[in-house]
Amino acid sequence: MSKDKISSQEIIDFVSSKASVSKRAAEEFLKVLTSTIEEALMAGEVVKIKNFGTFKMQWNEQRKSVNVQTGEDIILPGFHKVTFNPDSQLRDLVNEPFAHLEPVELDGSPIEKTNTSFEPPLDPLRTLNEQAFEIRNILDEIRELSTIIDGKVESIEIVEQEHTFELREDVVEPIIDSNIIESERSEYSVEEMAEPIVVEPELSVIIEIEKVENELPHQDFEEVDIQINFNPKSESAVPEISISITESSESEPELNDSVSDHNVLIEEQNEKKRKHKKTWLIVISSLILLVFLGIGAYSFYPPARNFMDKNYSSIKFSVLKKSESISMTDMFNTVSGWFASKKENEIVPQSIVIPKDTMQIDSIEAKPEVDSLQILFDNPRVYTTYLGTERIHDGSRLTIMAKRYYGSKDFWVYIYEANREHIANPDRIPVGTLIKVPKVDKRLIDSSNERCIRKAKELHDIYVKRN
Amino acid sequence: MNHKELIAALSEKMNAPKSIVESLLETTVATCTELLVEEKTIGFQSFGNFEVRKKEERLSVHPATQVRTLIPPKLVVNFKQSTILKDKLKDLPHE
Repeated sequence: MSKDKISSQEIIDFVSSKASVSKRAAEEFLKVLTSTIEEALMAGEVVKIKNFGTFKMQWNEQRKSVNVQTGEDIILPGFHKVTFNPDSQLRDLVNEPFAHLEPVELDGSPIEKTNTSFEPPLDPLRTLNEQAFEIRNILDEIRELSTIIDGKVESIEIVEQEHTFELREDVVEPIIDSNIIESERSEYSVEEMAEPIVVEPELSVIIEIEKVENELPHQDFEEVDIQINFNPKSESAVPEISISITESSESEPELNDSVSDHNVLIEEQNEKKRKHKKTWLIVISSLILLVFLGIGAYSFYPPARNFMDKNYSSIKFSVLKKSESISMTDMFNTVSGWFASKKENEIVPQSIVIPKDTMQIDSIEAKPEVDSLQILFDNPRVYTTYLGTERIHDGSRLTIMAKRYYGSKDFWVYIYEANREHIANPDRIPVGTLIKVPKVDKRLIDSSNERCIRKAKELHDIYVKRN
Repeated sequence: MNHKELIAALSEKMNAPKSIVESLLETTVATCTELLVEEKTIGFQSFGNFEVRKKEERLSVHPATQVRTLIPPKLVVNFKQSTILKDKLKDLPHE
């Protein structure tokens, strides 16, 4: 801000023109004013001027000091000092740019000052253990249920209430390679399930399902590992990933891809190859749809983006523990028995809601405000309403106006933007130009927000360099 | 000496009616306020300078309760007496 000094002569000029009196009269008045105040002060009086402030005399006691050059102790003599205490009206007017700020009480640590937006991520090991424990409980429940229904397990859904992330585990498989299907025989082979499915280079959500099968003729699961890798750059996106695992006793797995709402039937491999090709096409088309859905969600749904941007390297669930393999064998015995009786093309959807730890929710909730700000920054600003009009006189600055209207001189760029057609060079605006001061979104001109200031400075650099 | 007394003293010295003195004082105050709001420094010769200073934000701790409070930055008007006035005051006996 310009620290121009106004001399007494200029004050005289201002007063004489405003009060429409001669300069001499104004000069005399000011001289008399100061001398009167001086005299009154010398007489030990307090001088009060309405709406301006109070002058007081203060005695500063003598004090000891040290001569910096010689290191000797010296005594500074006491002296009188005129102090000025501004009136509340003047104080408020001068402090207007910062008037909106209020003292903030900080409770506890000063850390709060710096760390407001992000919670430190939870210890991944701890969450893994928790999840493993929860899944074990879930499986216990499944086993109980299966014994009750006696082979008629249709759909088991366990929802953990404090978690929102829903990962429907059921089979899965967005893609099954046709070769694999062909190679596959009557038994449900593990290897093909274990194959990592890379959907597309930029969409690198790798869903890896490993199933270790026993040598037993019926399908037993000893361990199911689901590994989800989130690449931070990946475009894929919906926080909810539904995977359905379908299983049939013989060799026709039916795919239920619930993300894209497409049911893909993979026919028996005994059937003609033409059919395989057809299925393959459907799989591809549903995949493409999934990709677009993901991209769409990524670009239009900020929480999804945040979710992906968070570095979620891997969430690994150990669904079944080895210790439980025997009990699970029992369970799947009943299931496979049911399959045998019901014949082919039967589906057993089992849905398990896999918990998502609370940290993810927090990160999603913390961001939207910031992101809406980003959107504000990115969108071109349109000025329709104006706070007022100013005429440029000698010494006028856009920055001063910005300070007066918006609270910070950095936001002058918005005034410039609104008046760009009248201003050739923001540094040199001809006197007499009418400047319209636009109404700007409050969030954009939040002088306490560092991002707003930074954005304004970026704009500043752009405009100043261009001219 | 309050506002009224000041006006009375001024009108007496200038041999002018109080109303004129009052309006002059008002315009002076208004002008000074306006200039100070624009963060200009006003110098009155042989009297002193009025200037606007920015007080940075600071962290204050209540000594008894240990409550930390973040005091926002603010702009205040500061008056600094001129050396001429200071010299005049030197002759003033202290109590």
